[in-house]
Amino acid sequence: MEPYAETESLSRVRVVTRILVAWALIIFLRLIILQVVQHDELRRLAAAQQTRQVEILAPRGRILDREGRPLAMSLPVDSIAIDPVRIPDPYTASNILAGVLGLNQPELLGKILVGAKAGRHFLWVKRRIEPAESERLASFGFDWVESRRESRRFYPNGALAGNVIGSVGFDEQGNSGLELAYNDELSGHAGERTMLNDVRRRAFSEVVDNEAEAGRDITLSIDQQIQFVAERELARAAVENHAGTGTVVVMDPNTGNVLAMASYPTFDPNEPLKKGSGLAARGNLCVTTPFEPGSVFKVFTLSAALETTNLTPETPINCGGGSITLFGRTIHDTHRYGSLSFADVLAKSSNIGAIQIGLRVGDEKLHDYLLRFGFSRSTGSGIPGESAGVIHKLRQWSKSSIGSVAMGHEVQVTAMQLAQACSVVANGGKLVPPRTVLKMKWPDGTVEPEPVRPATRVLSPSTALTMRRLMEGVVLHGTGTRAKMPGYTSAGKTGTAQLYDFNLRSWVHRYNASFMGFAPVNNPAVVVVVTLYGTSGGTAGYGGPVAAPVFREVASTALRVLNVPKDLPETPAPVKEAAPADDDLAIAGLSAPSEPPQPEAVTTPPAVTQLLPAPVVPANFVGISGRRTPDFVGRTLRSVIEEASASGVRIEYFGAGIAKAQTPAPGSVLSPGETVRVQFGR
Amino acid sequence: MAHYRTVRDLDWALLLFALIICGLGVLQIYSATADSGSGSWWKQILWISIGLVLMWTISRIDYHTLMDHVPMMYALSIGTLAAVFVVGTMAFGSRRWIPLPGGFHFQISEFIKVVLVLLIARYMTQLQTHELEVRDLLKLGALVGLPMVMVMKQPDLGTSLTYVPILAAGVLLAGLRWQYLAVILVCLALVIPVSWHFLKDYQKARLVSFNDPTADPRGSGYQVIQSRIAVGAGGIWGRGVTRGTQTQLGFLPVAPMDFIFSAFAEEHGFVGVVVVLGLYFLLIMQIVQNAQMSPDRAGMFICMGIAALVLFHVLVNIGMVVGRMPVTGIPLPLMSYGGSSTFTTFLLLGLVNNVRLRRFVN
Repeated sequence: MEPYAETESLSRVRVVTRILVAWALIIFLRLIILQVVQHDELRRLAAAQQTRQVEILAPRGRILDREGRPLAMSLPVDSIAIDPVRIPDPYTASNILAGVLGLNQPELLGKILVGAKAGRHFLWVKRRIEPAESERLASFGFDWVESRRESRRFYPNGALAGNVIGSVGFDEQGNSGLELAYNDELSGHAGERTMLNDVRRRAFSEVVDNEAEAGRDITLSIDQQIQFVAERELARAAVENHAGTGTVVVMDPNTGNVLAMASYPTFDPNEPLKKGSGLAARGNLCVTTPFEPGSVFKVFTLSAALETTNLTPETPINCGGGSITLFGRTIHDTHRYGSLSFADVLAKSSNIGAIQIGLRVGDEKLHDYLLRFGFSRSTGSGIPGESAGVIHKLRQWSKSSIGSVAMGHEVQVTAMQLAQACSVVANGGKLVPPRTVLKMKWPDGTVEPEPVRPATRVLSPSTALTMRRLMEGVVLHGTGTRAKMPGYTSAGKTGTAQLYDFNLRSWVHRYNASFMGFAPVNNPAVVVVVTLYGTSGGTAGYGGPVAAPVFREVASTALRVLNVPKDLPETPAPVKEAAPADDDLAIAGLSAPSEPPQPEAVTTPPAVTQLLPAPVVPANFVGISGRRTPDFVGRTLRSVIEEASASGVRIEYFGAGIAKAQTPAPGSVLSPGETVRVQFGR
Repeated sequence: MAHYRTVRDLDWALLLFALIICGLGVLQIYSATADSGSGSWWKQILWISIGLVLMWTISRIDYHTLMDHVPMMYALSIGTLAAVFVVGTMAFGSRRWIPLPGGFHFQISEFIKVVLVLLIARYMTQLQTHELEVRDLLKLGALVGLPMVMVMKQPDLGTSLTYVPILAAGVLLAGLRWQYLAVILVCLALVIPVSWHFLKDYQKARLVSFNDPTADPRGSGYQVIQSRIAVGAGGIWGRGVTRGTQTQLGFLPVAPMDFIFSAFAEEHGFVGVVVVLGLYFLLIMQIVQNAQMSPDRAGMFICMGIAALVLFHVLVNIGMVVGRMPVTGIPLPLMSYGGSSTFTTFLLLGLVNNVRLRRFVN
């Protein structure tokens, strides 16, 4: 080699070699810096781009009715997100997405472009889409589309019991009703997992950090069939009598279990809350909206009188020939009675009689009894937005207040409070707090019954028994004859309060019609309270004609569903159309004593009969032994429940959609109390 | 003289270093493509086997004979380069490959290295003077410059730059006046700003992001940043075969090819990196030793050209991986996945053996 290695050439090679060695050293140092000095930081950077924390959804608990039938459940659905940065052609992409998902294309394109510019890798396109949409989108196989599993609240019965259950917001958190009240119990706890994702943000592997804890299933005291009939009858009466709002409460007086709570108008909790419309429309009117009860309140005045005075049902009460002047205020009766027995004061709903009795009880004791009946405080039903109603404090009472309060004025009560107070009479004198939730089931299967709140005694058993008899008189020969039902004895009280228009500063011919009652009389199994607010049509808008038929239909359905033994012969008693019986207007002329109270309305009974629906004779009264199983197959859930309720057939159903199969088979003889099982499917 | 050229006379140390590097390469290709199931590592073994055959074959033909045919080989090479523009296959935005039957592709710009090594050795041995004249420099510049420009036009800046060290080694060893060297450096200093305007946009972006990778972290700076993270995440001991998340999750671009060293650094750490760098050092020193023992000037030029070429590849590729060189598509010889690169490297090692086998002839 030496002959070719000139010394100068060698020195140049040395220089170059040194440069190369320096170069190599730079690289070597750099490797040390990266792999030793900056290792931790770069490792963190690697983890930051390779992992992400993802929430694990906790399945929201179901809401079930008394029999375990689902009223609300959560179903898994897909939500679609995209990676704007990786969309090759935003215009085409937005066209396809808008087409498949039914979105506004220019708006979507704008969002994609903004997202891509900002370098964002995640953009929700549409949450909780239909399975068909999800399938179509998946068929494109775009790698920049991400489908995430989310959960959607589903109410299989639509609007049924919507005002009780309430609804959820977009994030599946309760925003009204029991969904709101029991949100914590229903929603459980979300878990968390760490996902290792590749450069295209596709999940590569995952580690669960915290398991999700599913929400609890809540079983309500509500019975779906009773609820259905209560809503149907309420809506029918409200539409026929032009009522603005209305409520029905069905309660077991012995346990306080609320079997149905219907509000009118209803809403479908499956529909998302519209922008601008408040949650008020989703309230449960049975507890949120107090009203002036009117004559139904006389029951409590008379109960107090039986306990605190020596008055008996037979004691004659001076009804003053139809008017009474109380500390300068004159109050009229619809009908002029000279003297009525204590019992007939209730049956005929005499205002003067009630005032006279109230005066005997006195301010203090009446006030005390009303509080003991549970008025002026929340029933503790657990439903959000419950109102306590109003019973004014004694010192706020004017001298004539006793007269107003005795017949249900100057007070505000909720339908639930009325049901609770009526239960006192029905169950023999105890105040049983209402109960809407029976039990909760934890995800591990543990069942935790909701605690029963203690009952307190309000009336002596004998007073309660006497009041039952007096209330039966209302139905038998008083203002509430339309509450008579086939097969069962019933008792109740009608109520009608004329409405005062604060804008017009005058009383208007619209009424708050109500009925409060129970059945059967001797061993009451259900208390039903019906209120309709803003009825019209003269006396046809009174509590008797309007609310009593609702009571009849709802109570008879409830008794049938609860398998309560009949205490009357099967043949339905003819419904008497007794015009005078409707006159329980408790207000008559509080402000205008000179004005005679609606005589023309009294003289036009035909209008009443026209407005009333033909008496419904439920199918099962024709003869239970020969009843055949209806054919449910091929029908919707709603129509099956409707028919089952109408014919008194107990059903149990599974699944959702269209009825596919049933046992026993259609047409076979159904023994009393037997349940028909119906399988639904899509 | 044939009885001297036995298998026993091959440079076994050189071959051993080369094969260990190849083995580590195959392991890394296997790891980087483990989840895709493409079987690239298996193909790489096939390329290496063919490479060994090529090495043996080229070492059989006396390098003097090969040098006699340089004009013909050079003409053929330029012709093929021209053909690439017509029938070449596009990949990664550049037209470099000639499709062959059987789905294989042939990158002529790699094989030209062999021709250029022989061409420069031939030119230098025919020199009559101790030092190069301007005429010689212009001639050599033109001979090497023609294929460089053609390859640059593909465009493949990286490969065309690899021709420079072959020329530089030859020129330096043949003897270059300091004055000329200074003039060349000044010329280069002037040419570089001008050549900026002739660069493609993506090449400009690469240079910008070499300066500041965070300027466009999702675009041209992406590879630099991800490679830096991968190397750093490896730490001292590495994360283990198929455990490098940068590599496995696809954050590291072209992991089995240009960035194979980055993937290797992530999975084998600083310790693995030192081993590989040591192997390359031994490999290059072995080539240099063959240059020293070469029977004539021609052999020395051949070996030194090859040593310079391999060294350039290693320094530029690893410099790029650690963020100390701009991103140019230069593979790491013997490790990176690819047939053309592997064949070429083994052909060059064949030339080194060729020289070695004839050291006792004189």
